[in-house]
Amino acid sequence: MLNKLRFLSTVTLVGISGILGSTAGFASDPPPAEEVGASVSIRMYQVEGTLPADDPNSPQWAAVPESEFNLAPQVHWPERIQEVTVQSVKVKGLHDGQNLAILVEYEDPTDDPKDAAAIEFMVGDKKAHFAHGQPMLQVEGGPVNIWFWKKETGKALDMSAKGFKTLSTQEKQDVSATGAWAGGSWKVVFTRALKTEDEQDVQIEPGEWRSVAFAFWDGALVSGVAKEKGSQKAVSSWWSIRAEPSADNSIFGWVIFGLALAAGFELVVVRKLRKGQSA
Amino acid sequence: MRGPITSGAILLAGVFVFLKFILPLFTAPLPASLIYLYMTLAFSGIMLYGTMSASSLESLMGPVFRFLSGEGQSGTGKLARLAVLVLFPLLVGWQTYTSLAPSDLPPGENRTIHPAPPGEFVGLANPYQNNEANINMGKGLYAAYCSPCHGANYDGKGPAAKGFNPPPANFADPGTIAQLQESYLFWRIKKGGVGLPVEAMPWKSAMPRWEVELPDEFIWKIIMGEYDGAHQSPRTWEEDD
Repeated sequence: MLNKLRFLSTVTLVGISGILGSTAGFASDPPPAEEVGASVSIRMYQVEGTLPADDPNSPQWAAVPESEFNLAPQVHWPERIQEVTVQSVKVKGLHDGQNLAILVEYEDPTDDPKDAAAIEFMVGDKKAHFAHGQPMLQVEGGPVNIWFWKKETGKALDMSAKGFKTLSTQEKQDVSATGAWAGGSWKVVFTRALKTEDEQDVQIEPGEWRSVAFAFWDGALVSGVAKEKGSQKAVSSWWSIRAEPSADNSIFGWVIFGLALAAGFELVVVRKLRKGQSA
Repeated sequence: MRGPITSGAILLAGVFVFLKFILPLFTAPLPASLIYLYMTLAFSGIMLYGTMSASSLESLMGPVFRFLSGEGQSGTGKLARLAVLVLFPLLVGWQTYTSLAPSDLPPGENRTIHPAPPGEFVGLANPYQNNEANINMGKGLYAAYCSPCHGANYDGKGPAAKGFNPPPANFADPGTIAQLQESYLFWRIKKGGVGLPVEAMPWKSAMPRWEVELPDEFIWKIIMGEYDGAHQSPRTWEEDD
């Protein structure tokens, strides 16, 4: 009888330790909450069917949740600018498993030939400084990939940089963009394959976060010169972006397995206990 | 009279309250993972103590086993046993789900705001006299170079501030320059955001590397202007002792 009791208490002890171990999740510190009133990330949602990749005004965009980021004048390096036209940007993203489309929407009262918009990504595992991946003193940085749309050409350039004065147009152009101005705001949609063969490009793996930043130029002419050009632009800091992964149903198989295992454990323990007590 | 189960539960609750609420009164709060570890140790200790002899084993585990076996139970006891038997597998299933489900949150930000400066910037003294002329010159330079982000009122609310993450430092807050030495500010202004160590996430900082554009003299005077304008004074070596 005593041996049986010892055996059962060992089983129970192991069981309870298992429960405690499995509930360690309860004891974890809470994950950081998203800031109220300002976005920290962009989710590119997966669509079935066609992507509104060349139409900023496609009704498909209406249902997509948007993120909004504040912008600041570029003051990090000369030539600086103290005031900029574009104060914030609304961003939406979609993908179809093969290609992605990112829509940026921002207020700019006039449609000017020198207007421009850019999206910047970190490339690879090393962190890159948001100012064109300029070198950092204590940390080895990586390069950036910049998608640069100009109203004047109506096209996007696929570019790379790692530090000031290193911005260059890539040999292999993988990005396209379409802009539409109406009622005091620009809508520009950028599109590219999620993954490319070019190692200078950001590679988007569904489910994985990437770092993204934005820049906008108001090309309105003031005494014959564009108000914002080159380093004089509105910029954002780094934020997070990802292509949402498709649902993984194998998780539910494991959940059912876990449930069955726990129920089986209970059954064995209760049966043993009943036998022990009637013995 | 209390049974060993009640005593054990009270002891566990006491350990938890001590670790979670009483200890942080004297030192930094413990991380949840450490509290969990101590709780596991306390629980193991209680179980070891309770299973040392046949009689203590019976008084500790007997009620548990009788409860679980369901012999001779009725009413509330029966319901409670059923609830435990149903909830345990559900809990395991839920835990399986949460541990396997891919995280939906963007990467967390544990950025160190005031990281340790490089050795050559520790303990430098401001070579310029703290007089009105120098302070005024510093304030003028501050207005030209620093105020667009850090604000004309030294409060971190300049016109360029709202777009940046991390936000520009608020010098009027007693948690910023009042906690730092002049040599620390000299480092941060001279080397800028790109001079930060990895724990401070230099890739996010818009702070310019002013050594490229301003002579040291300007930087030291800007520091004087900042402290005076923000109504703060630098932390000194004497206070550290």
